[in-house]
Amino acid sequence: MKAFLRRGLFYLITAWAAITLNFLLPRLIPGDPVSRMLARFHGQLGPNAVFALRKLFGQTSDNIWVQYVDYWNRLFHGDFGVSFTSYPTPVTTIIGQGLPWTLGLIGVCTVLSFVIGTALGALVGWKRGTWVDSFIPVTTFLTSIPYFWFGLIVVYIFALQLHWFPLSGGYTPGIQPGWSPEFVGSVVQHAILPSLAIIVSSIGYWLLGMRNMMITTLSEDYVLLAQAKGLSKRRVLTTYAGRNALLPSLAGFALSLGFIVGGSIITEVVFNYPGIGYALFQAVQGQDYPLMQGIFFIITIAVLAANLVADFLYVILDPRTRQEA
Amino acid sequence: MSTTTLAEVDVDPSETAARGKGAKFAWISGFRSPKTIVGIVIVVFFALVAIFGPLLVTTDPSAVSFNVLLPPSAKHLLGTTHTGQDIFAQMVVGARISMLVGFVAAVLATLLSLIIGLAAGYLGGIPDELLSLVSNIFLVIPTLPLVVILAGALPSTGSLSITIVISITAWAWGARVLRAQTLSLRKRDFVEAARATGESTFRIIFREILPNQTAIVAATFLSTVIGAILTQASLAFLGLTDVTEWSWGGILYWAQNSSALSFGAWWWFVPPGLCIALLGTALSLINFGIDEFINPRLRLAGIATKKGAKKALTRLQAPKQPIRGPRRQARRTGGLGSFTRGDVILEVKNLTVDYTSASAPVHAVDDVSLTLRRGQVLGIAGESGSGKSTLAYAITRLHRPPAEITGGELIYTNRDGSTVDILKLTDRELTDFRWEELSIVFQSAMNALNPILRVGAQIEDAIAAHRPDMDAQGRSDRVRELMGLVGISIDRVSAYPHELSGGMRQRVMIAIALALDPEIIVMDEPTTALDVVIQRQIVEKIMELKDRLGFSVIFITHDLSMLIELSDEIAIMYAGRIVEVGSAQEFYRNPKHPYSQGLLGSFPTLSGPKKVLTGIVGAPPDLRSLPSGCPFRTRCPHAFDACATIEPVLLPLPTVEVPSANELRSVSCHLYDPELTRVPALAEGVAK
Repeated sequence: MKAFLRRGLFYLITAWAAITLNFLLPRLIPGDPVSRMLARFHGQLGPNAVFALRKLFGQTSDNIWVQYVDYWNRLFHGDFGVSFTSYPTPVTTIIGQGLPWTLGLIGVCTVLSFVIGTALGALVGWKRGTWVDSFIPVTTFLTSIPYFWFGLIVVYIFALQLHWFPLSGGYTPGIQPGWSPEFVGSVVQHAILPSLAIIVSSIGYWLLGMRNMMITTLSEDYVLLAQAKGLSKRRVLTTYAGRNALLPSLAGFALSLGFIVGGSIITEVVFNYPGIGYALFQAVQGQDYPLMQGIFFIITIAVLAANLVADFLYVILDPRTRQEA
Repeated sequence: MSTTTLAEVDVDPSETAARGKGAKFAWISGFRSPKTIVGIVIVVFFALVAIFGPLLVTTDPSAVSFNVLLPPSAKHLLGTTHTGQDIFAQMVVGARISMLVGFVAAVLATLLSLIIGLAAGYLGGIPDELLSLVSNIFLVIPTLPLVVILAGALPSTGSLSITIVISITAWAWGARVLRAQTLSLRKRDFVEAARATGESTFRIIFREILPNQTAIVAATFLSTVIGAILTQASLAFLGLTDVTEWSWGGILYWAQNSSALSFGAWWWFVPPGLCIALLGTALSLINFGIDEFINPRLRLAGIATKKGAKKALTRLQAPKQPIRGPRRQARRTGGLGSFTRGDVILEVKNLTVDYTSASAPVHAVDDVSLTLRRGQVLGIAGESGSGKSTLAYAITRLHRPPAEITGGELIYTNRDGSTVDILKLTDRELTDFRWEELSIVFQSAMNALNPILRVGAQIEDAIAAHRPDMDAQGRSDRVRELMGLVGISIDRVSAYPHELSGGMRQRVMIAIALALDPEIIVMDEPTTALDVVIQRQIVEKIMELKDRLGFSVIFITHDLSMLIELSDEIAIMYAGRIVEVGSAQEFYRNPKHPYSQGLLGSFPTLSGPKKVLTGIVGAPPDLRSLPSGCPFRTRCPHAFDACATIEPVLLPLPTVEVPSANELRSVSCHLYDPELTRVPALAEGVAK
């Protein structure tokens, strides 16, 4: 319980750090970014937006503490400002539209690649020294691939050349979004290629990590004893070696999530997928600072939440963490 | 007594030596593996391209022409873009920025990791808490969006700014690893010693700690390079870098923004990603070499094949070849065979176990023959590295690569008098045989119990594996019965190992060993990890159970006084060989081998007369370079010229009459060989 509170406190501090960073960064930009932006949008922005922009970059008469309190106040009211590129749509609306797509695609793919990669890694570690070792150079290659590049490759092969899957987007335009079988089918069909790109290019990471942990665990005395006792291979592999090797892998999953998710969301760009990764790309292209900030905030919170879930799983799997002081 | 030395010998003799020399840069030897060499060749190739390529390419990568979207040809090796730019020129020129950003960012990030990791690990306390917190925050915050907003905030998007932004977000993992490493190094003897002698903190960090972390620093650096190159490519692809400056990611940006995909211009977007992936793979391959050095278990993984074990077993069927040079032949017929009586349960005959990973095989157990009788305790004693644990594992066929049984027999006698050679059992037969007839108790119960499984379940699954017909109720009853036998209260059945004391855990181990009522239990230093009072309780428990249940025990320890007390017969091991065998009482009264005399002379008796503790000079020998002749001669106070030339073998003592088998003594020493009395004065000196 104490360990859990400690973790909870850590996530709170991390969230605070990310939010404060969001607050400070625009204020650290040298020169006069507001004028630069106003010049670029020459007169398209209303007076409210200009005021909001000055607020964002700290160009108000209030001192920095007042600004900071004001910033938190707006945050709690869900006010992330207004997007420049889709002026005057609020940032929250854009994020709200993109988030379900990203959670569905990136969330499912990250979990899938972890599960498949870990399972394969356990098997490859178990069968070490046999032909399966030749998987390693291949997986190493896969882990070194830029996610978005692999996206380009699968689009080229499966969408452009073979016409097996749609080229881009989240669903076929013209279908009314809803829970109709037609729409769901279209969503699944559109998600297959991006999923393939994300899973294939992130699976090796888990596979190699789990393989190494598995080999380390296999030389533990308790695995030797399990074999000596005459237990079935299946039980030794799962209950003795696998479950123990999984623990560090799960801890690693939590810590690597930020890196993996960051890589995956760019894949959306290749597919013009309507998630927040694509929105981030558009924000960058249009120097839409409020939108960039909002997206950074929401991704950070999502990753922290996922971390919390991973921690929870860890506690379930490892009785040692459940020890009451 | 250091059990770690033994463990290291059991893993890989060469490993200890490499570490022992204090070879701080020994990990560079990992670069000899073919995988690593391939990696280095690729990295060097790309580095050369990055350095010299732009000087050699005559085509301006930005020059437009009318040759638009040409596929690869002799003129344009990688084809052209939609504005007729030469992609090959872009790739070569782009290599420079991509690699420069990657390597410089990695240098900066690694420096940051080092400073923060070393400071946190060395200072400890509140600075450590704070620094760890900061690095964990940086780890958890999603990197790429952070880089994006950082890069978006920058007034300039030149390579230098991008490099700095990447390094700011890439140091955390390295800092975490280095902190952990520093923490463990800080507690080592040589650092403690440096601190005790008043060396400055600065000197300790840079002279004592840092040089020992080179392998980890190198591994961190290489993986950071991969991460940095990937991040740069992502940023360039998103258009966050200065895309007029050619880099691999920049080429992808132009390809994406110019709809290279819809033109089907694969030659445009394939090469940059391929080069990034190749370079990343090469760096990972180099890292494999370093990883295998840091974690030797990974290296052994390659050897741990079924093939290896099968090979060793088939070799056993082949006629045995003499392995070494001159050795005395056993002249008296029967040799140890004359020990056998009707109640023999296990006979170890000429068992040899080699470590095969070293360049030349090392005999960890060398031609060992022993006899265990029903209901008796055979004690085996020796220093660390004498091969006693290797012998225990070999008898149960639980030895692990690189250990390999290369010769001998393990004859087990069933209750009906039929015999079976354990070494000839197939895997299936062995699985059935082991635990049913022969079980083992490991040295450390903490390591031998699965930390995430309740102890009751760990006893029960052994029963379930061998008694598939028994129902859950039956198994549960048996578990309770076993726990009662070894003296653990029944309610601990659902405890996890970490919830039990050391003594309780060892009792659980014994309960597991007893689960199927085996005939023989091999005990490999079962009490070493326990304090003296608990040791006594456990030993008494074992003896009580032995008398009650009638099993036989092979008890292995370095604690000779305990062994004499509980054994019927004692064997002394030195350098992988048995140097003396005899009944415990006879042995205690009158040890024959100079090594046994040394061992007995190195501890006080509680009841006997006062004596001067002598001990044995020198250290256990290096199995890879044993002295010629008798392996003990360099430490032996009685060595004479024959000891250097002729290898002694275990022979029954000629002086002992033969009233009963139990009093038979065998010694492997030239002092007792009547044919080698060329220097009689020394031999008599021992007899006094």
